Amino acid sequence: MDTETGMFTRLKNAVAHNPDLAFAILLAVCVYGYFAFTNEFFATHRTVYAIMERFAVLGLVGLALTLCIIAGEIDLSIGSNAALAAVIVVRFTDSLGAETALLIAVATSTTIGLIQGYFIAYLRVRAIVLTVGTLMLLRGVALFAAEEKTVMLTDFTVPDFISEKMLGYFSPASLLVILTFVLVGLFMNYTRFGREIYAIGGARKEALASGISLKRPMIIVFAISGFCAGLGGVIIGLRSGTAQALGLQYLLLAGTVAAFIGGVSILGGRGGVIGAAIGTLTVNFLNTGLVFNVTPAFMVQLYLGILLMVVIMFQTGSRIFDDHQRRDQVMRDVDRRREMFLEKKRAAAASGVG
Amino acid sequence: MNTTANVYASASPASLFNRIIQNHSPIVIVLVALFLAVFLYGMVTAPNFLTLFNLKTIVRDAALVGIMAIGLTFVTLSGNFFLLSMKETAALSIIAFATAMSAGYGFELSFLFTMLIALAAGVLQGALIGLGGNPIVVTLGAAGLFFGVASWWSENLVVSFRRPHGAEWLGSGSLFGLPNITIAFILISITAEIVLRYSTFGRQVYLIGANRAAGKATGHENFSMAIKTCAIASICSAFVAIAFSAQVSSAHVNYFSSEFGSSGDMTILVIATVMVGGNSIMGGFGSTLRSSLGAVFISTVDNMMVLHGFNSGPRVLAVGLMIVFSIIVFALVRRGSRAQE
Repeated sequence: MDTETGMFTRLKNAVAHNPDLAFAILLAVCVYGYFAFTNEFFATHRTVYAIMERFAVLGLVGLALTLCIIAGEIDLSIGSNAALAAVIVVRFTDSLGAETALLIAVATSTTIGLIQGYFIAYLRVRAIVLTVGTLMLLRGVALFAAEEKTVMLTDFTVPDFISEKMLGYFSPASLLVILTFVLVGLFMNYTRFGREIYAIGGARKEALASGISLKRPMIIVFAISGFCAGLGGVIIGLRSGTAQALGLQYLLLAGTVAAFIGGVSILGGRGGVIGAAIGTLTVNFLNTGLVFNVTPAFMVQLYLGILLMVVIMFQTGSRIFDDHQRRDQVMRDVDRRREMFLEKKRAAAASGVG
Repeated sequence: MNTTANVYASASPASLFNRIIQNHSPIVIVLVALFLAVFLYGMVTAPNFLTLFNLKTIVRDAALVGIMAIGLTFVTLSGNFFLLSMKETAALSIIAFATAMSAGYGFELSFLFTMLIALAAGVLQGALIGLGGNPIVVTLGAAGLFFGVASWWSENLVVSFRRPHGAEWLGSGSLFGLPNITIAFILISITAEIVLRYSTFGRQVYLIGANRAAGKATGHENFSMAIKTCAIASICSAFVAIAFSAQVSSAHVNYFSSEFGSSGDMTILVIATVMVGGNSIMGGFGSTLRSSLGAVFISTVDNMMVLHGFNSGPRVLAVGLMIVFSIIVFALVRRGSRAQE
């Protein structure tokens, strides 16, 4: 009981000191509440399971993009990487079994991410520049691997274990993803390597000047991003039993929306894993709720686009407001000091005369 | 860059070779040489490659992507990276144009209507970018928005209008043996190059792209520049959409997605064109001529691979390799000058 109240207080403090997180939680509750009240089937146990299933994929992408944006970069190739992993896992499941195929696919994606991170740090280019190239390149590789067809499993029951219901609301896939979140969260908050990622995002010049190498954090971030993309692609591929080389491009928009709702700043160095989870849940509530209300897929994209624009406007607006406030503060300080100085001078002159 | 080019031109072949050896690292030389070798080999062995008809085909294929890339080059040169919403702007425009045409408004009015919509789309994005939003994220959101609006407007159906219509001359007409769209491409690239080189606006684009702080200090804010350049890019996409719609007499939101051409989706192909042309993504260096040539180059490689009988997989792979290759080579060549943003 005591530890529980302790944890609660800590959580409360964390939220109180972090307006972005508070905003994210508020938004999540609002979206959930809206659909729970307007649709009688939304607030049920089955829906929770469905949302957790969606969370498994989108959460990974949201997490990956959150880490990239914390490091001040963005990984545009995430959709292609996921599509490649999906193609690989579906192609190899028949011959090697789902587990081996899964490992191969995730290992490939992680290696691709790692190489990307290395090149970004070695060439000192912005990640968007390189990842827009790898977006196309990986798409080509995926097309090549799939022989330009939609690949399919022969036995659709093989990968059923991945969405088997466990502990009420979860499946092995979503449990694995939650485990990933916990591990990455611990890594980001309590290890030196994790803090380096925050450092190169928030203040890159200062971090480099103080002796942090650019390579290590970049490689770690993009390796995690590749791992998340790969795992997400594998889960999608196994669950549906089919994979398309040109699919999964929608993940980038949904993941970016999730990351920004979760409170990352485009300037880097802010946000965290809890924010990523809440941001993803918000997007999931929206997605699932819209499906419940029979909304076509393009409308979901429309809402996500509007949501992203609104969040960006909010962030940019608050930044401009902050800048103005800071400038006003500085000007007030200067005025006050000048007044004080003149006052002192006048007093000194008066006493000198007296 | 200009001075080195002059030195290259005036030097004898032996000293030119020496200069290349001295100025560039061995990796760059080997990469470029390897690429040239593969390119020349493919060119010589491809059947029917070196014919006038095929040359015309190459330029014609390059035209649509090239016009969009010219528009995007303005954004890139002004230091605002690139727009991820090129194909979605085109999708919105093509629906607008086809809807207006099928309602019987005639070519001129439909053209004007489409351009106004594209202008509004460009100004919206430009204003958000100019206020300090990140171009990538803003245009990613705008892409979702435009695509959603276009799908909702057309109810995700094909909008078609009957032949004969007033836009046929643009889609399938030709002049002096060249298709009109090729002529439009050539005219637009010449105009854009003249604007960039000799007009005040063009010089401002370079100034803001090369050094934003200096631009701000001399009274050239990025706010109005972002709006102008994004509007140019959107209008170029709208023009491409109109030309394409005029050709096929119909419109659907997915025309510019993965089904278009061979090399994946249009946005990435356009960005690839700008990059392969050798424009600096950080801004301030490059020209629209480079983008036009980049479009012709990508189209040449694609054409060569088609003639060799490759499927879409290897062709997309080749374009991807070309982008990554150009990123690596240009980063290595320019190392030290603009190493950090």
